[in-house]
Order: sequence, then C-alpha cells, then structure tokens
Amino acid sequence: MAQDSVGLSSDYQFWIQKLSVWKQASTLETQQDTCLYLPQFQEFLRQMYEALKEMDSNTVIERFPTIGQLLAKTCRNPFILAYDESQKILIWCLCCLINKDPQNSGESQLNSWTRGLLSRILAAFRSDIKEVDLFTQGLGYAPADYYPGLLKNMVLSLVSELRENHLNGFNTQSRKKICLPVSAVLCLWLRHLPSLEKAVLHLFEKLVSSERNCLRRIECFMKDSLLPEAACHPAIFRVVDEMFRYALLETEGAPEVLAAMQVFTRCFVEALEKENQQPKFALKTYFPYASPSLVMVLLQRPKDIPQGLWHRPLKRISEMLKEIVEDETQGSSGGPFENWFLLAHFGGWADIAAEQLLTSVGDAEPPEALLWLLAFSSSPGDGPQQRAQTMVEVKAVLSHLGRLLRSPTLSAGNLLAAAEERREGDPRPPACQQLTRRLLLNFLLWAPGGRAMARDVITLMARTDEIMHEIVGFLDQTLYRWDHLGVDAPGSRKLARELLAELRGQA
Amino acid sequence: MDSLLQQLERFSEVLAVSRTTHVSTWDAATVRRALQWARYLRHVHRRFGRHARIRKALERRLQNQWKQEGGSGPAPALGLTNFQALGHCDLLLSLRLLANRALGDAAFHYLLQELFPGPGVPGAEEGTLQGSLALLARRRAAVHMLRSSAYRENPVLQEDSLMKTQAELLLERLQEVGEAHAEGPGRFLSRLWEHLPHNNFLKVTAAALLLPPSSPRHQEEESELGNPRRAGERGRELLHWLLGKSEVIVAFCRNLPAGLLTSVAGRHPEVSRVYLGLLTDWGRHLHYDLQKGIWIGTESQDVPWEELYGRFQSLCQAPPPLKDEVLTTLKSCKAQDGDFEVPGLSIWTDLLLALESGA
Repeated sequence: MAQDSVGLSSDYQFWIQKLSVWKQASTLETQQDTCLYLPQFQEFLRQMYEALKEMDSNTVIERFPTIGQLLAKTCRNPFILAYDESQKILIWCLCCLINKDPQNSGESQLNSWTRGLLSRILAAFRSDIKEVDLFTQGLGYAPADYYPGLLKNMVLSLVSELRENHLNGFNTQSRKKICLPVSAVLCLWLRHLPSLEKAVLHLFEKLVSSERNCLRRIECFMKDSLLPEAACHPAIFRVVDEMFRYALLETEGAPEVLAAMQVFTRCFVEALEKENQQPKFALKTYFPYASPSLVMVLLQRPKDIPQGLWHRPLKRISEMLKEIVEDETQGSSGGPFENWFLLAHFGGWADIAAEQLLTSVGDAEPPEALLWLLAFSSSPGDGPQQRAQTMVEVKAVLSHLGRLLRSPTLSAGNLLAAAEERREGDPRPPACQQLTRRLLLNFLLWAPGGRAMARDVITLMARTDEIMHEIVGFLDQTLYRWDHLGVDAPGSRKLARELLAELRGQA
Repeated sequence: MDSLLQQLERFSEVLAVSRTTHVSTWDAATVRRALQWARYLRHVHRRFGRHARIRKALERRLQNQWKQEGGSGPAPALGLTNFQALGHCDLLLSLRLLANRALGDAAFHYLLQELFPGPGVPGAEEGTLQGSLALLARRRAAVHMLRSSAYRENPVLQEDSLMKTQAELLLERLQEVGEAHAEGPGRFLSRLWEHLPHNNFLKVTAAALLLPPSSPRHQEEESELGNPRRAGERGRELLHWLLGKSEVIVAFCRNLPAGLLTSVAGRHPEVSRVYLGLLTDWGRHLHYDLQKGIWIGTESQDVPWEELYGRFQSLCQAPPPLKDEVLTTLKSCKAQDGDFEVPGLSIWTDLLLALESGA
C-alpha cells in the first residue's frame, strides 16, 4: 500500500504539471500532446479514485493538498472529458470530496466548490452555442436530446470536408486542422455504414465523370479516397466489394467499372502487404465465397515470378477455375458469375494469358488452359460446348496470325481478314469479337511487322465509337500493367504509347 | 388513464420545483421518492410508447401544459414538454437537482450516491443514470471540443452542421405536434415566431426547407410514432405556415442571404412565386435619380438597388426552370413599362442590362 501511494504521489506531480501545460488544450500542440496521454491519464484517474474513496474529505485535502487544482484543470480540458470513461471517473473522484454533513465553513466551502465543478461538467443548459441553445429550448429540447444529432452532423461535415481537401489537394482556409488519421475515418466507416457508402459513391462519381480511360489517374483517386487502406478491414472490404458487384451487374460488366475494380484490388493488396507481414485476417474473410486455394494463387504477384514461368500460375488458375465452374455437383464455391467476379478482381491474369498466347504464336499449339481462361473471362455464362467453340475460334485466329507472321504479304487488310474469317456464316458473339480484337491488338504490339500497320489496322477496326473506346482502354491498361510488372519491351511500349496519344488526341 | 394523466401533472410540478429554491426543504427521502417517481414514468414511456392512443393523449396533455406555462417563451420550459421527454425524465430531474445550489448537503450527498454508485457491473451501464449522465458529459465535451477546434461556419448555410441540426429538430418537433393536434404545427410555429430571435429562426426555416427528402436521422432512430413521414412531407407544414404569414415571408425574403433564398426558391416553386412577387414590388418603389444616375428609394425600408440586383443575379445563376422564370418575369415587367432599351426609364430594363453585362 505504501508503495502504491508513493507511486501515486510521483505520478500526481507529473500529471499536475502536464495539466498546467495543457490548460484548455486550445493550441494544436497542447491538443496533440493531450491526445497522446489520454489513456495513461485515465488510468491515473482510476488509481486516484481508488485512493480517494477510502478517505474522507479532510484526509483527502491532507494527503493531496492541490487536489482542487488537479480536478479543476481536468474539468476544463474538453479532450479529457470527451475521452472514453475519463469523465465518469472524474465525477467519481469529485463525489469523494462531498461531505454529507459539513462541520465548519472550510468543509462547506469545499462542498460548494465541488458542486460547482460537478455542475460545470454536467451543465445541461449552459452551452457555448447560444443561438442553438435558445432555439432548442424554444422547441422544448434538452441538450441530452440534441447532442447526438449535433455530434453526428459535425463529424460528418468534418469528414466530408477532409475528404474534399484530400481529393482536391488544397487547403480551404488558413486555419488549424485536426488531422483525421486513417484510423479515425475507419472508425467512422465501421460505425456508420451510410458514410462509407457515400465515400464509395463519391469515388464512383469521380471515376465516371473524369478520367475514364486513364488507369494511372484512377489509381490516384483510389488511393486518395483511403478506401483501399480501409478495406484491409474485412467488413469494409466486403461493403466496397458489394458495391462494385452491383455496379457491374447494373452496367452489365462495363469495362470502366471492371478497370476501377482491378485498380482497387491492386491498391488493396498493396495496402494489405504494407500493413502486416502476417495477415491479420484470414483470406476467407475477404472472399468468403471463393475457394481459398484459388484466392491464394490469384493473389500471387506476377512481378515475383520470372516472366518465363508465368504460364505456370496461369495454368493453375485455369485448371482450378475449370474444375469449380464445370463441376456439376453443388457445394463447389459459387457459380460461374461468382468465380468470374473473383477473377475479374485480378484481371491482370487474363490479360497476361492473352499476351502469352500471342507471343508464343506460331511456335506450338496454344495451351488449352490459356484458351479456356480467356474464353471464360470474356464469357463466363457460356455452357461447356459454347466455350469449347470459342476456344476453337480463338485457336483458329491464333494459327492464322501465326501463318501471317511468316508470310511476306502481311498487310493491314489481310490481317484483318484473317481475324474475321469464320467457318460458319453468322457473326461471332460480341464477347468473342472483343477477344479477337484483343488478340489482334496484342499482335500489333508484339509482332515485328505489326508496327508498320498498326495505325491502319486500328482505323479499320474502330468502326464504332465504342470499339474505339475499347481500343484506347486496352492500350491504357496494357501500358499500366507493363509499368507495374516492369515488363521489358521498349519497342512495344513505345508503339503503345504513341498509339494511345494519337487516339486520345483524336477522341 | 386519468390517474396516469394526474401522475404526469404531479411529476411535471415536481420537475418544475426541482429548479427552484424550494428544494432546500427536501431531504434524502424526498430525493429518493422523486427519483422513484421519475423511474416509474420512464417505465410508462417504455410501456405505452407503442400505444398510439395513450401516447397521443399524453402528448396532448403535455403540450397543453407546456403552452399554459408560456412554453417556448423567454423562460425555458419548466415541466415536461412532450412524450419523448418522458423517456428520460429521470435524467432531466437529476440534472436539475445536481445544478441546484439550494439542495441541502445531506440530500445532495444522497443524490450523488444514487446517481453515481461507482464502478459496478460493466455492461449494465447503458440503462443506468450513471451511464446516461457520463455520456451526456462526454458528448457535451465532444461538442465543445469540435466546436472550438474544428468547426467553422459553413458558408453554404444549409450544410452547416449547427443549422442542419436545428432544422432537423424543428421538423421532428413539428411532426410530433402535428400528430397530437391537426392544427398544431401552425400554432406552434406562430408561437416560436413570437418568442424566438427572428434571424436565427428564419435561417433554420430555410435550412429545414432544404433538407434532403428523407431525413436519415429520422429513419435511423426508432420511430415510435407509428408512421414515419419523410422530411419532405413534414417540410410541407412549415412551408404552408411560412407562405400563410405575410409578416414572416416578407422577413424571410428580405433578410436572408440571396444565395440561400435562391436555393429555397429553386426547391419550392411556391416560394419562388412569392419571392419574385416581392422583388418586383420592391423594385417598383425605386425611382431614377437623374442627377446621380442611380435608382433610389424614398423610404428607409426600401430595398436599395444593389441588393435588388444582387438577388436577381443570384436567381439568374440558378438552374432552370427558376432561371427562366426569373428572366421571363423581368422581361414582362420591362414590357409593361414600355419595353425601353434606354437606361433610366424602367428599372427592369436597367436590371436586365446589368445582369447581361455582369453575368
């Protein structure tokens, strides 16, 4: 007991000094310092209470002659009062000072003083917002009624102002700012779903209204929104993911939404890796409907694997998906859409598959696994026969392209013709057409002769605005992917960049 | 039912007394009884909260009582003001007693023991007075903290958090009053107008008329009132009252900032009609001073040219149909005056000229 009381005495001195420095926590420095010490101070208050409750008021004054100062200064610091249970413990301490039956003027004065402080902490009708006070009284409301609503409104407006500043990148006023750390925004989002949804919608709006075909800018917006970081918390990830899912469903798989989701996932994975060396939450909490082993493979970073070995994870992904999707029995993880949705998060793999097929064209038979993956990613709803048909078509295109590669009469015209030639009469389904276009564009970027006819081919291909848009998107995505993977292909890169600049200028 | 109403009245009296020096006669036993009573009424609130008829009757009685006390008058309401207040009448009573210096030391000591028993079973806190009082202190500090370090008046008034809160409260109260008496809201608003500072009241009214159609606060909070009407409908009563009282609508249009009025007019065509009518009226009071070359009024209360122009300018920056309506009005006034193109003959010509060049 003696030990405790010595410890308490020295703590006491420490805290009295601190409180004197903090005063009412009206400057940024005092505020920050106060916030740093809040938990420890609360602990100290608890210990004080434990000591005080064993004494009567005279003993208290004897033991802690400056207790009045300590308590009064604490009462004047709104940061302390607003923290956790500090206000409650403070009240308990004050209660210890009240004398039931004061015998002399000293005791009466102490009572009076203590009651004053209690009143001050709990003062229901003295607030510093006069007009609001008057108005609410006029309406018949007490502060207990309107504080929750007021707090909510103040915090929400703060958060949206901070978000605005963040996204617009300028300081609105030259005034003190409280830095709302990510953890605070996270807290808000975790407690108040509407503000999270608002943040996501705000992001969607920004994406839709501005840089539609520039993944680099999208990545900037994404990171600024704090959503990828916050999504390390599974609950937040799930909400954001759900919103992407709806957006995809509503827009029927709009490429912009897909691209945004892929960027989000990339930033999210980056944040996850940065945050913890060991993941805090099992992968299953983020992707509850997916097979964990599939998620693990998808999460692998191509960057970490030598380019020559990329076909291995690709094959694995394809095989796993095929097994899940074409397995008739129930109990497999999700249907085709769910698995397609999962794959879409990590869209880079399908793009890499297309590239791989192209760069190895003419060498050997294109691997079935890659064909399957491409076919699935562009058309998940197909039945096994349709898919097989698509794979056959793609194989045919690839073999044509392979032949043309070695042909001396390679020109824009016959390249296109080769791509469009079909065995049957009806036009290909649009998803298949898109695939073909993708392969063709890849061809242009990689094939030695491709450079010369790139512009002509593209002009011929881009019969509609939509297709043009698609081509621009493809080029942007390809460059973005190459940048992130550090793909070494200076010639292709240069061509892609030039084409992109030209097409963007035209649009 | 009658006994319940009587209880209510009695307790209201107790609550009123708890603020006066009369409590100097209270001892610990009196305090205990008062708290028990409050607890009982809280139970009543919980029990009958879903009983529309009983609730309505209680609400009506309380509101009448409040009116008799000169409620919303310069002195704050002394008793219970509405049914919702029953839900935390023990909190109200406790706060009053805590702040009342006239309460004797022994009684006060007892009060503290009752209210703040100390660390007990955690988790049981939520329902207790200790928990509610601590929460109140905490929230008060949070408001103070946010206000002094992070708050700045939002220039867009209807988005200012203080304004929004007052607006939400106003609409909430209007709904309750409307549920108890059909003509309630109108009378209630008139009383508010008589007793509260006009400037703030008008701003809050504008903010309330601009609240989004379904107030999230209303949806989140458990609506005990049976059929939650949305803010859009509640605003209707407010609008109706506003348009029905010429003194108020004139002050509304005259004193509120141009931008705010434009927003309100844009949302509520009835307001835009009245607003335009007033503006044209005010415009007609001005005459052209040939020497000075400006439009001036004769009386002190005439709206000066600059203000008139400023308001029209703001209106012309609104999206259609308001913008078009305004231009049409100006053009037709100009036509009525003789459709002059030369300045100095018709104020409408001059306004249009100024708007075109300024815009």
